[in-house]
Amino acid sequence: MVQDGPTSSLRIVGEKSSALKAPFSNFVLLLRNKFLVKNLVRRDVRSRYRNALLGYAWTVIEPTLLSIVYWFLFIMLAGNPDEYYAVWVLVGVIVWSCFGKSLMASVTSLTGNTSVIHLVFFPRIIFPTTAMVANITITIMSSLVVVPIILAYGFPFGIHLILIPVGIFLSGIMGMGLGIIFAPLNCIQRDIEHLFRFIVRAGFFVSPVMWTYEMAMERGVFGEIVLWNPMVAPITIARHGLMGKWPDMPLEWIAYSVCMAIGLWIFGNIIFDKFEREAVKHL
Amino acid sequence: MSEIVISIQDVDLNFPKRRGLKDLIFGIFKENKVYHQALKGINLSISRGEIVGIIGTNGCGKSTLLRVISGIYPPDSGTCKVQGNISLLAGLGTGFSAHQTGRENAILYGSILGYSEQKMIDKLPEIIDFSELGQFIDEPIRTYSAGMKARLGLAVASAIQPDLLLIDEVLGVGDPSFRKKSTDRIMEMVRQAGTVVIVSHSFGMLSEVCDRLVLIENGEILVEGNPEDVINVYYQNKKSKKE
Repeated sequence: MVQDGPTSSLRIVGEKSSALKAPFSNFVLLLRNKFLVKNLVRRDVRSRYRNALLGYAWTVIEPTLLSIVYWFLFIMLAGNPDEYYAVWVLVGVIVWSCFGKSLMASVTSLTGNTSVIHLVFFPRIIFPTTAMVANITITIMSSLVVVPIILAYGFPFGIHLILIPVGIFLSGIMGMGLGIIFAPLNCIQRDIEHLFRFIVRAGFFVSPVMWTYEMAMERGVFGEIVLWNPMVAPITIARHGLMGKWPDMPLEWIAYSVCMAIGLWIFGNIIFDKFEREAVKHL
Repeated sequence: MSEIVISIQDVDLNFPKRRGLKDLIFGIFKENKVYHQALKGINLSISRGEIVGIIGTNGCGKSTLLRVISGIYPPDSGTCKVQGNISLLAGLGTGFSAHQTGRENAILYGSILGYSEQKMIDKLPEIIDFSELGQFIDEPIRTYSAGMKARLGLAVASAIQPDLLLIDEVLGVGDPSFRKKSTDRIMEMVRQAGTVVIVSHSFGMLSEVCDRLVLIENGEILVEGNPEDVINVYYQNKKSKKE
């Protein structure tokens, strides 16, 4: 910047560093705005179960009811499932919903905050990040449902349980990473939002929510194809953690899923940073 | 001449026009304009301590200009430089979450406006006092009337004195008794702030407080200068358009 006399201390509005640095500088921005992040997360968490008599209990009731429905469905269709089948579905529903909700919240992070965006400027990556943090928080709360399950089925309590929040976190990061790639595009055409709502619904069936990694492996070639879905690992490791063992699936596929999550998140940050400014003009 | 704190040079801003599917497909064959020029070659310098009013007909680009200054829209060409911390007073109470209490929302709104946690803790009693909400402060916002929300919004927004204050048509909110109080509060902020840019349609108030007025038409600065002259030009323009 040219130092020209009295205007030397002026700063250029909206100047920013290269988008490639975004994944790193975004960490700094989040730390700098941690008071705002904290309040936005609180807003998201508080407003989720507003005006509900059972309040936060719904975080547990919703997946429980869903897994009961699937358990009945499975008995009707296939009969004689694994005795823990309802539990596996429950874990699947919890982890998958964290991915789905983080994804949708990230895709709509700009369009849903139009009024705030028009009012004040702050780094907009804060919107999807707070949505993801709020979702992970709610999902971890709902995963407390495993406590009675562990007692009822006599699973071992132990360090392996850490795999449940790890799986949730992984799916949250993946959802946000994928979502923020498309958030700017959603400002231009809202079709993206509808498309992703479909993707979340369809992804439910191609991910191991109603079925498990072990069931897929019994199908031979089909099982191999299924592993390319990066959501297989987060759900499976959470299930194995609940069972009380370390993930019993090839390590390279877990690494693949972790790399996908981190890769999507980094790529998403770059894309979001590059296009967000032009995109908000469409709002 | 005192120090320049806002310096806008040749700023252009284009808004994309929304196109339907039909236009998108057939637009390939046609050379159609897909942009709406909201600001064209704006040049404006504002010195420390100046109070500048911006006037113009609806949709001429007044609010857009304030948003460019506050960094919401990056200019497509040209530069906009500022000094010090900026606060844009517009749409009071935006970002309120209906299901949280007034107190929680005050903190949320404050953090959206960029206040630090410590400042917010210090200012909260004053904010609650000014908003005149009494015990309603611990009720959810959804039970508030529009006037109550506006009062809380103003109380938060005016709690901290910025270096550059940008005001977009927020004068006179709430019921008549509070309207006077809110106008007084904003005027007090205007007097205390280093520099102020006001967008408004109330010419009486503008000619009273502003050192300088800027008339914008179709995204261009038509004239700037002392308030009376600029207001005259505005009315002449309007008249000549009617004829």
